[in-house]
Amino acid sequence: MLLYNLRLAWSSLRRTPWLSALTLITLAIGVGVATTFVSMVHLLGRDPLPELSDDLFYVRLDNWNPEEPRSRNFPERPPQQVTYRDSLALLEAPDPVLKASAFRTQLIVHPDDPAQRPFPRMTRAATRDFFALFDVPFAHGGTWDQRADETGAKVVVLDHETNDRLFGGDNSVGRELRLGEHVYTVAGVLAPWRPVVKVFDVTQGPNNEPESLFIPFRVAESIELGVYGNSSGWTSWDTYEERLFASESVFTQHWVRLETEEQKASYQQWLNEYTEGQRAGDRFLRPTNNWIQPMMAWLEEMEVVPPSSQRMMIIALLFLAVCAVNLIGLLLGKFLARAPEIGVRRALGASRGAIFVQHLVECQVLALLGSLIGIGLASLGLAVLTSDNAGEQLLYPDASTMLIGVLLAMAAGLVAGIYPAWRIGATAPAIHLKLQ
Amino acid sequence: MIELQDVSKIYRTALIETHALNRVTVEIAAGEFVAIMGPSGSGKTSFLNVVGLLDGFDEGNYRLDGEDVGRLTDRRASRLRNEKIGFIFQSFNLIPDLDVFDNVDVPLRYRGFNGKERKSRIEEALAMVGLSSRLHHRPAQLSGGQQQRVAIARALVGQPKLILADEPTGNLDSAMAREIMDLLESINDLGTTIVMVTHDPELAARSARQIHLLDGRVIDVDSGTPAPLYNPAVFAAEPMGAEV
Repeated sequence: MLLYNLRLAWSSLRRTPWLSALTLITLAIGVGVATTFVSMVHLLGRDPLPELSDDLFYVRLDNWNPEEPRSRNFPERPPQQVTYRDSLALLEAPDPVLKASAFRTQLIVHPDDPAQRPFPRMTRAATRDFFALFDVPFAHGGTWDQRADETGAKVVVLDHETNDRLFGGDNSVGRELRLGEHVYTVAGVLAPWRPVVKVFDVTQGPNNEPESLFIPFRVAESIELGVYGNSSGWTSWDTYEERLFASESVFTQHWVRLETEEQKASYQQWLNEYTEGQRAGDRFLRPTNNWIQPMMAWLEEMEVVPPSSQRMMIIALLFLAVCAVNLIGLLLGKFLARAPEIGVRRALGASRGAIFVQHLVECQVLALLGSLIGIGLASLGLAVLTSDNAGEQLLYPDASTMLIGVLLAMAAGLVAGIYPAWRIGATAPAIHLKLQ
Repeated sequence: MIELQDVSKIYRTALIETHALNRVTVEIAAGEFVAIMGPSGSGKTSFLNVVGLLDGFDEGNYRLDGEDVGRLTDRRASRLRNEKIGFIFQSFNLIPDLDVFDNVDVPLRYRGFNGKERKSRIEEALAMVGLSSRLHHRPAQLSGGQQQRVAIARALVGQPKLILADEPTGNLDSAMAREIMDLLESINDLGTTIVMVTHDPELAARSARQIHLLDGRVIDVDSGTPAPLYNPAVFAAEPMGAEV
C-alpha cells in the first residue's frame, strides 16, 4: 500500500505543478535555514577529537588570590590557565602517558630570499608531546627530541603554508630559518591542517586558525617571547624572568593523556601534593582545588558552541514552524479540491485512516523533495556563515547535515500535513459524491 | 440481503428538522433486481447512501447480509462497502488521472490483494463489460457508455453481493442506456442483488420490483405491477442529473 500511496502522491504533485512548486519552495526555504543553524550547532558541538578525547584532560590549578576567587560568578572554578613555573613542574609528573604545556607567541620570519620581506607569524611554544596529544599530522620530519625540550633548543616545526612560502613546499627538515634574532633548524613540516575547533587553546576564540610555527616551550627561558594569548594574574612582576618564575601570571595551557582511572587518581593526588608543597612558599593559599578536566567539559565551559548560535538555531526552527503553518493552508486547499475523488475512494472501501495515510504520505514525499533543496541551501548557508577571515570554510555539510535536513523536513511535513490529511479523511463520503 | 426496519434519517438545523427518510421499512432479498423511484427530494439518494453505508441513520435497524450495521466503526463500514457493495454512479465517477486498469484496481487496492490476483480480477471484470482492449485508456479518451462500463467493471471487480446503481443511465443516450441495462440484467442473472435508482419508468419496468419513495416514506411496494401514486411524466420532465 505504501508504494501505491507513493504513486498517488507523485501523480498528485504532477497534477498541480505550480501549487506543488510553491509548496516545495516554502518548505525548502524553511528547511534550508533551519538545517543551516541546527547543523552549525551540531558540527561545532560534536567531539572534535573522537579518537582521543576520552583520555585527554585539561589541567587547572587554583593559584589565585586567597582573598577572592578568579571568577565571582563561578567561584568554584580555578583559573583557566596555569603559570609558566607550574607548567614546568607539571611536566615532571610521572603519571600522564603524554603531557604538554604551551602558550601562544609571535615571531618574525626572515626569509633567506632577499626578495621576500620579513613577516610575522603566530607561533606556539610547546613541549614535544603536543603534536601527539592533538594528532597533528606531519608531512615531513616530526617533533623535536626530549633534549630540545629540556634545553629550549632552537628548532622549529613549520605549518604547510609557511613551508610552501619559504621553501617552495620542499622537505625542509634540517634547513635553517631565521626567526627574530635567532636561527632555528627545521625539525618537521606539518601536512595541511585546519581543525574546526582549536582544542588546544580555546581561550582566544575556539575557531581561530592554528599557529604557523611551533618551537620548544623552554625557548622562553633564553629569549623573551611575548605572550599573544590570554593572560591574567593577581600579582605584579617587573622583569620577564620574574613573570616566568616568580609571578602568578597564568598564560600557559597544560594538557595530559591519562588512560586509566588509576592514572587519574594517582595524578590527582600528585597535583594536590604539589600545590600543598607550594604553600611553604606562600603560594596556593586558597583551598585545594585542582582540576583534571575532561576535554569535552572544558570545551563546553568555554562555550565552543556560542550561545548566539544556539539562539539563532531556535529562531531558525521557529521560522521553519512558520513555514509549516503556512503550508497547512496550501495543503488544505489542495486536498479539499480533490474531495470528489476521495468520496469515490471512500465509497469503494477506503477507510478514513487509509485516506489520512494517503495524504500524509503525499506530505512526506513533498517533505523529502523539499529536504533535497533545503540541504542544498543549508550547504550554501554553512559556507557563508562558517568561513574564517582567510575565506576558508570551517564546517562542511556531511551525513549528519543531510539527516538533520531530512528529519526537519519530515517533521515540518508532518506538522503541515496532519490537519489537512485529517480533514479530507474525515469528510463524509456521501457529500463528496454529490459534488461529482 | 437488505433489511431496513423503521429507518429514519433526519437532517436538523436550528429551526427545522427534515426527514430525508421517515420510518422506512424495506426488505430486499438476495438476487433481486429492485428499482427505487420517486421525485426529486423524495429520499432516493438518502436511501442509497444509508443502504450503501455511505451515511448513517438516526432511528431504526438495518441488517445487511445478515449483519447489523447500525453501529459500525468507520473501518468496519469501509470493509463492508469494499467487500459486499459495488457502486455505479450517474456521472461514472472515474478518477481522471488513472487509466482504465487503475480505475478498476481502486477497490482491490483497499482489499489488500496481491498484484497477480488484482490483475486477474481486473482483466476478468473488463472482459465482462467488453473493454479488454482499453486497459490503458484514460477516462477522457472513452465515450460515455464506455466510461459507465468501466464503472460497472469497477463495481464488479470485488465480486460484491450487492450493486447500488444511482441513475446508471442518466448521462447516456437511449441506445447506450439499453446496453447498460442489458449488462446489469446479466449481472443480476449471475445472482448479484441490484438496487437501482432511476427516474425512467421504462428502465424501472425492467426490474423485478419497484419501491416508490415520497417525502422520505415508502408509499407503494409492488412486487409485480408497478402502480405509482404520482405521475411519472413529472419525473420525465425533470432535468437529468439534478439529483445524484
